[in-house]
Amino acid sequence: MARARFAEILRLLATEEVEFLVVGMTAGILHGAPVTTVDLDVVHRRTPDNVARLLRVLSGHQILTTSLGDRDCLGSIDQGRGYEELVAQTEEMRLAGGLAVRVLGLAALIDAKERSGRPKDLAALPVLRATLEEKSRRPPDRG
Amino acid sequence: MSGPSPAGESRPPEPDVDANGVDRAQIRAMLALTPEERLRHVEEFVEAALEIRELNGTGPIR
Repeated sequence: MARARFAEILRLLATEEVEFLVVGMTAGILHGAPVTTVDLDVVHRRTPDNVARLLRVLSGHQILTTSLGDRDCLGSIDQGRGYEELVAQTEEMRLAGGLAVRVLGLAALIDAKERSGRPKDLAALPVLRATLEEKSRRPPDRG
Repeated sequence: MSGPSPAGESRPPEPDVDANGVDRAQIRAMLALTPEERLRHVEEFVEAALEIRELNGTGPIR
């Protein structure tokens, strides 16, 4: 049976010191939105060394495309914004074992989906906005 | 998807649906988890959905 391996893939990328940001609905999930997705979208830093590290992880583990859907490694999102433009709007989240990943902030994710205007992005907005509101009432994540 | 329950609890939280139809109880249940636990919860849900699709001869989700 096919397996969803989002956490495993993030762990591999972090272990290999790939510079990347989690974006899209996986970012929403990490922030606590009760949504689901079959894609793991990341924006990687487009330096030759980093691209080489990314390709090494992807080719070594056959994780670019699976029966679950695509692992989308994006150079940019949201009208051409890349790693350098987005990194200031991310938060660091810890995985088990102390590995850290950078995740697009929930407010920035909402802004990007509003700007996209695509029906699938607009449909996600009520739950993302409600998550942001609920999150603002709580202490920071313990992850 | 149904909201996660903290370990040891058998019943999901009572729904608390707002004016937009969003169940705030599900959000609060997710926020009670660590980020990695949230991801694992979704992985379990996706795997269950995929298993049902495979049992019914349907292809990959796109």
